[in-house]
Amino acid sequence: MEEYPEELRTPPVALVALVGCPELHAVISTHLHSEQPPINTLALPDFSKISLISKTPKQPPHSAQSLGIFKRDWLLKHRTRVPSVVAALFTSDHVSGDPAQWLQLCTDLENLKLGNIFAELSNTYYRDEGRRIKTCLERKSISSVELSIRYCFKVAVYAEFRRDWVEALRFYEDAYYTLREMIGTSTRLPAIQRLVEIKTVAEQLHFKILTLLLHGGKVVEAITWFHQHNTSYKGLVGAPEVNFLHWEWLSRQFLVLAELLDMTSATIQSTVIATDKLSEWEFSSAYYYQLAAHYLKEKRSCFELTLSMSETASDIDGNAESVAPSVYVGQFARLLEQGDTYTMQPITDEEYVRYALAEGKRFQDSFEIIALLKKSFESYTNFKAQRMASYCEFKMAREYFSVNEFGNAKLLFDSIASLYRKEGWVTLLWEVLGYLRECSRILGSVKDFVEYSLEMAALPVSIAGVQSLSSKECGPADPASLSQREIIHKEVFELVRGESGLASNEENNSVRVTGDQPLHLEIDLVSPLRVVLLASVAFHEQIVKPGAPTLLTLSFLSQLPHTVEIDQLEIQFNQSVCNFTIVNGQRPQSAAISNVQPGHRVETAPALMLSTNKWLRLTYDIKSDQSGKLECVSGPHFTICCRAESPASMNDLPLWKFEDRVETFPTKDPGLSFSGQKATQVEEPDPLVDLQLGVSGPALVGEIFAIPITISAKGHAVHSGELKINLVDTRGGGLLSPREVEPFSTDNLHVELLGVSGLESEDDNIRKIQHSFGLISVPFLNEGDSWSCNLEIKWYRPKPVMLYVSLGYSPHSSEPNAQKVNVHKSLEIEGKTAVVFSHQYMLPFRRDPLLFSKIKPGPDSDQMASLPLNETSILIVTAKNSTEVPLQLLSMFIEVDDDDIGSLAQCNTGLRTLQTLHSSCLEKSSRRFSLSFPR
Amino acid sequence: MIVCVAVVGHQNNPLYIQSFTEADDALKLHHIVHCSLDVVDERVNNPKKSGPTLNETFLGLLYPTENYKVYGYLTNTKVKFILVTTDLDVRDADVRNFFRRFHSAYVDAVSNPFHVPGKKITSRTFAERVSNIVKSFGLSSTG
Repeated sequence: MEEYPEELRTPPVALVALVGCPELHAVISTHLHSEQPPINTLALPDFSKISLISKTPKQPPHSAQSLGIFKRDWLLKHRTRVPSVVAALFTSDHVSGDPAQWLQLCTDLENLKLGNIFAELSNTYYRDEGRRIKTCLERKSISSVELSIRYCFKVAVYAEFRRDWVEALRFYEDAYYTLREMIGTSTRLPAIQRLVEIKTVAEQLHFKILTLLLHGGKVVEAITWFHQHNTSYKGLVGAPEVNFLHWEWLSRQFLVLAELLDMTSATIQSTVIATDKLSEWEFSSAYYYQLAAHYLKEKRSCFELTLSMSETASDIDGNAESVAPSVYVGQFARLLEQGDTYTMQPITDEEYVRYALAEGKRFQDSFEIIALLKKSFESYTNFKAQRMASYCEFKMAREYFSVNEFGNAKLLFDSIASLYRKEGWVTLLWEVLGYLRECSRILGSVKDFVEYSLEMAALPVSIAGVQSLSSKECGPADPASLSQREIIHKEVFELVRGESGLASNEENNSVRVTGDQPLHLEIDLVSPLRVVLLASVAFHEQIVKPGAPTLLTLSFLSQLPHTVEIDQLEIQFNQSVCNFTIVNGQRPQSAAISNVQPGHRVETAPALMLSTNKWLRLTYDIKSDQSGKLECVSGPHFTICCRAESPASMNDLPLWKFEDRVETFPTKDPGLSFSGQKATQVEEPDPLVDLQLGVSGPALVGEIFAIPITISAKGHAVHSGELKINLVDTRGGGLLSPREVEPFSTDNLHVELLGVSGLESEDDNIRKIQHSFGLISVPFLNEGDSWSCNLEIKWYRPKPVMLYVSLGYSPHSSEPNAQKVNVHKSLEIEGKTAVVFSHQYMLPFRRDPLLFSKIKPGPDSDQMASLPLNETSILIVTAKNSTEVPLQLLSMFIEVDDDDIGSLAQCNTGLRTLQTLHSSCLEKSSRRFSLSFPR
Repeated sequence: MIVCVAVVGHQNNPLYIQSFTEADDALKLHHIVHCSLDVVDERVNNPKKSGPTLNETFLGLLYPTENYKVYGYLTNTKVKFILVTTDLDVRDADVRNFFRRFHSAYVDAVSNPFHVPGKKITSRTFAERVSNIVKSFGLSSTG
């Protein structure tokens, strides 16, 4: 759009001239320019300069033919040199007249609104000019089509001066259609130049129409108009020697639309909705930038073809010098110098072609194409259309590639490749990888070259469903096929074996993989090279005892087209003692690999051949510990480090997962394939130490109850032993009462761990004693030794309690982080009150013969019972001995409060007789007495 | 003339792609099919914009390129069909009819007990059927 002259890009502004009184011009100009709509001024200091704007008498147009459609400078002339109104300014002393009218003049001057009067007058002028030409048009007296177009254009411009957009649009369209009809009929100019002129004029008219439509907010109409413009001119390629001009022109049409859309998009975006005929993409500039780039590429290829065909490319430059744009839009002429003046001489088509070629050589199309694609890419990215954006990136990268900017190209190709990998578009990925491989070859990056080559060789392209593509469009890599994969495979393995070098552009040295420059590739869980080498490791057991052997299956899978022979496999674990190496038995020379340390385990496998899509399975026994990294070594200078994967959690191979083929498993045992893990849990060894808790009888409330603990080391020595003691309420709820407000007050404490006795030095051994928790250290015990102590626990309330004791020790050393072995013991201990008395009334219907044993001391036994009046009630008094000592019950008194009501006092006397009746032995059992209350 | 048809799976991966051109533009057609997935995504994610195509398998014209028109179709199992044609004046009914026949061919192909869902379609019968459907495109709308 910047190529268009300023007067075409902006709407015309009315022009007025000021003559005389130059000191006022600045004020007036500023004022008029700030009017709405603004007015431009042409200031002439005095009347002597008036001839500047005088009209040169025009010769009537050539009766037969006009020389062009319209003149290049006509629009500029009317915007800057031909005023619509001339205002002459005089100072009052220059004015003389009838003094009677003087007052009237002053009043008129006061009422004069300068802006309005100028606007009115210039409007009138432009309207009259427009009308004048319109009349000519309507009279149909115009001799040529050119004039008719010119008149339409002029009417439209005058309408624009008046801001009459509707009329302007109508006449621009008229001019455009008339011009289109000219294509077949005009013979004024030689064929090539004729078409160039028509297209140039059409471009200007089209641009005007497009701008007017877009500024009027008619986006749908503008785009429809554009399509129509595109359709009517797209086919007019013209002569083959200048067809590049056509593509350049077409590209510019798209670019201009894209730029106009970008300018207006801020205001229109919200209102545009896809219509039936236009999709949403046709409203986005991205689409048009992309097409502009496309046609510019077309232009470049045509231009290069034309250039290569023109025999005398060198003399193109010489002849073209004096050719310049002529006075008519879209025409070119030779400038002839005649003394001080220049004259224009028409040129032949041959001359014009030479001129166009010389002009074309001045431009670097590739950078223009990249810039267009970049705009398109950014716009698509804003739309979150990542695939379209990627396609633009791809085209950009190809452009960079073609101008030998391999670094830029590689960056872009890399980002596209990841999208195609993700979505499994193998043919597209192949093409991109082909470019990447070529870029890294030229840049001399061996590692990248090997990686891209390996990935290409392992792509699923031999499978049915992928068409063979022609080599023309495939870029540096030949079309994807199995044979091509095999060639790449062979090439890359020759390179990594050091048999061949990589010819790169860097100082013309071929890069080799040698002992000095070994090559190391890493394949992790997300690497695209998983298709090249997939390593899976499965322990046959999920939990093993330390020192006990378990089996480990290593499985490898490769999708490379040829069999790969591995020299050596190094398996590394997170516990390096377990590391071992597998060497290929068929390669005796490589068995003496230097980096094998003494004591390192080396296994020899009969063959380490990796065939295409066939698991190589190796099973070895291994003692203890978890796996970490698995390292695979191949070739003297080429290593691949592969992260081991668990078969159970292994992802499908990217790309290959979409292929229709038989599933294979990394291990022979399918169960292991589904559940196998690359890590195993190593248990702690079995304890060989006895822990005994000796308990005699129940504990009694109030006494300090001692529990002896004995540790006897039978098979292990005890290093840094530790006893943990825990008291837990068997019914849950803790050992403190629920209303525990002060946690350490003994009032609320039911059971308490008081301490430990029987220790040699209490200060050293007891590390912590709390109410329900204790920690005691155990001294070193040799095998066969034993050690004991007593726990002292006090019950405050009768309660059963669980006692947990655990011994932790390390069997071998006393280092703090040495492996620990734990022994656990637990015991339930009942806490009881020594002697308990309780009483209960017997309900009336359960008298006499009823069995005593059925009667339990109810929780409400202390409560006041209501007894039937005038009947005998039975009171049961129970005494219970929980101790181990027999107790003799000597006597028992039952008293009744004297304050009570009379009826109960009667009972009192009756009861007294019982006092001496019963005295017997309470031998850790309960005795029951029944009392009857006589009336 | 139809120049390319494609079946695209759930991860936007090609399950079947076949071009029917003599010219060297098969790879370009792959690019076009891949780009059209952006439009399918947009239509599926913003059903409001597409208006009448809501709840319909036929997605209509996805996007125009200079020389091609791309149409889309989304099956009830969210598998996408893409059609690229060089005819710039195509009747909607023809395209719908094409997709209907293509869909039934697809259903037959994936109903094969030996076909694993989500894998590429390698059936030769399917390929033949598709090429017949492509050949008869636009000849009659009753098909």
